[in-house]
Amino acid sequence: MEYFVQLSAIVWKDLLLEVRSRERIAAMGAFAVLAGVLFNFSIDTTAVRPQDVAAGLIWMTLVFGGLLGVGRTFHIESQDGAMQGILMSPAPKDAVFLAKVIANFVLLYAISLLVLGVFALFFGVDVRNNLGWVSLILGLGSLGFVAVATLFAAISTGTSMAETLLPILVFPLLVPMVVFGAGATGRLMAGRPFSEVEGNVRMLGAFAFAAVAAGAVLFRYVVEE
Amino acid sequence: MTTVGVRRGATGLTLLGLAGLVGLYWLSFFWVSTEATQGVVQRIFYVHVPAAWTAFLAIGISALCSAVYLWLRDDRLDRAAMCAAEGGIVFATIVLTTGPLWGRIAWGTYWTWEPRLTLTLLLWFIFAGYFMVRSATDDPDKGKRYAAVVAIVGALDIPFIHLSVIWFRSLHPQPVVAKPEGPTLPGDMLTTLMFGLGTFTILFFGFFLFRYALEGLRAEADLRARRSAA
Amino acid sequence: MEAVLEARGLGRDYGPVVAVRSVDLTLGEGEFLTVFGPNGAGKTSLLGMLGGAMRPTRGSVSIRGETVSLSDGAWRRRVGMLSHRGFLYARLTAVENLRFYGRLFGLEDLERRIPERLARVGLADRSHFQVRQLSNGMRQRLALARALLHDPDVVLLDEPYTGLDPRAASVLRGVLTELRDGRRTVVMVTHNLKEGLELATRVAIQVSGRFAWEGVADAVDREDFERHYHQVVEDPS
Repeated sequence: MEYFVQLSAIVWKDLLLEVRSRERIAAMGAFAVLAGVLFNFSIDTTAVRPQDVAAGLIWMTLVFGGLLGVGRTFHIESQDGAMQGILMSPAPKDAVFLAKVIANFVLLYAISLLVLGVFALFFGVDVRNNLGWVSLILGLGSLGFVAVATLFAAISTGTSMAETLLPILVFPLLVPMVVFGAGATGRLMAGRPFSEVEGNVRMLGAFAFAAVAAGAVLFRYVVEE
Repeated sequence: MTTVGVRRGATGLTLLGLAGLVGLYWLSFFWVSTEATQGVVQRIFYVHVPAAWTAFLAIGISALCSAVYLWLRDDRLDRAAMCAAEGGIVFATIVLTTGPLWGRIAWGTYWTWEPRLTLTLLLWFIFAGYFMVRSATDDPDKGKRYAAVVAIVGALDIPFIHLSVIWFRSLHPQPVVAKPEGPTLPGDMLTTLMFGLGTFTILFFGFFLFRYALEGLRAEADLRARRSAA
Repeated sequence: MEAVLEARGLGRDYGPVVAVRSVDLTLGEGEFLTVFGPNGAGKTSLLGMLGGAMRPTRGSVSIRGETVSLSDGAWRRRVGMLSHRGFLYARLTAVENLRFYGRLFGLEDLERRIPERLARVGLADRSHFQVRQLSNGMRQRLALARALLHDPDVVLLDEPYTGLDPRAASVLRGVLTELRDGRRTVVMVTHNLKEGLELATRVAIQVSGRFAWEGVADAVDREDFERHYHQVVEDPS
């Protein structure tokens, strides 16, 4: 019970700080929209049907934008050494990790829906097919992504390269998420039935679960002094 | 195990491995039969595949040593993890150079998204990340901890990446139909391959032990320097 | 007297740099140890290890017999640390900061406790100000309230007088005097010879990672001590 109180205190604190400063959500949101704009200029829409490449572009936008936001997860703590305050409290380290993952997930999931909207608007991509399932898949992908990125954000924040190291560490690990996520999304948006992508969804779920579990165990070794 | 003992073991294994390498080259050039569709260039397979196997063995060893290091904090485990990772990135590089060479001659393209090659490319970056994280920290102990986490997560992700790459590839069959090793492996090819796997594994452990002994000496020298300065 | 805070052979290295060589100390209830020392003597690392914020390279620490480690034991409720870094969130109000830490520490009666503590440090009228709207002195006062919110047995203070205006310094002095109630055990690291000597029951000088001198505070005359301090810092043998 106390675990839950501690966890929700950290989630609430992170979300409250985000609402007040709006730093990360503004950066991620602006990125989502601007990426859509740049894609418009970089793709020849007479030669390529946006509908065909939308799934991949949506996921890549999510990955880049997500790193932007999640990379700063521990920055909010570092300014006044607040992380040490949390670590010296009785809150278990895995609770701290899970709380960060939940807070980041809320952020990223919101952005992922924004990205979907941006692509619908800018490219006339029809997102109505299987919208519910697509949202679920974006959610599962976001969860796995956030778990991996949060753990490695804690690492990269402690290095001299900081956030620039994060993509290098994280991109190879995200291949399963991109493959299964974009693959399923593409199919669903093309109107294929859910049964065809069930395997993908299971893999995404397994990936998310493994990422959260590994992070919860390993986080304490990253944050200790 | 004393450093002298480790070095003796290293020398023994390396010599054995080098002898095996000579044997492997002889087998792959003179003994094993030529593959029907690709011709002579296919023989690179007997170096390419064992190198890949060794690279993945290396991440496994590195991850295991890293996990125990985080638990016990014995620097020797961290040294072992690092030496394994070093061997791993070297063998991964061998895969990534033999692969495109093979591809260019056999199928006309330097790069195909062949599952093994793709997986090795990603593994190479995981190793690179391991070393980057080690050197990007001021506090060496922090670097060791971070690197250990990179190795562990990397190793855990390999099965997922493997499955995803294979699944992806099954959807997008390349224009060239030939599988790198052909549908089934005839007896002499299998034997040569097995011999290659064994040789490369022995070589890897030989190099690993040499590196480990060197790191051990370096640590001892550091300790002595620190003691005399104090 | 039962030992509340005990350290045996405590040491901390950062790679080749030895920050803390070897420190032994035993403190009972009601004791107040002030550690003086020049910068780079390893005082912050020492406090970090005593508080379970830092992993020792050598040795061990225990609080009321329970070993201090990096894990999450019940002993964490007994330790409070005031660092000059504050541990505060700039965009949360004073109340929100305290409520956050209160929940982390599993404190029950926050709605009563928080206004009380804020009043004690003279911030009652700024309860709903965000920390970034508070002056440095006010922030340190809030940090003090945060450190003591859960009534820790063991209080660790890292250079608490740094950058304080006179009002904040007097609040701090008042609170620290209250801490000498016979129940708490305090370790304070400071440069401020006057304040440090006034409150202490025990005194130590840390140079190059170890205690170069230790003594009982009552037996120490301030001027003598100042001279002695400069001597020891110059030649720590």
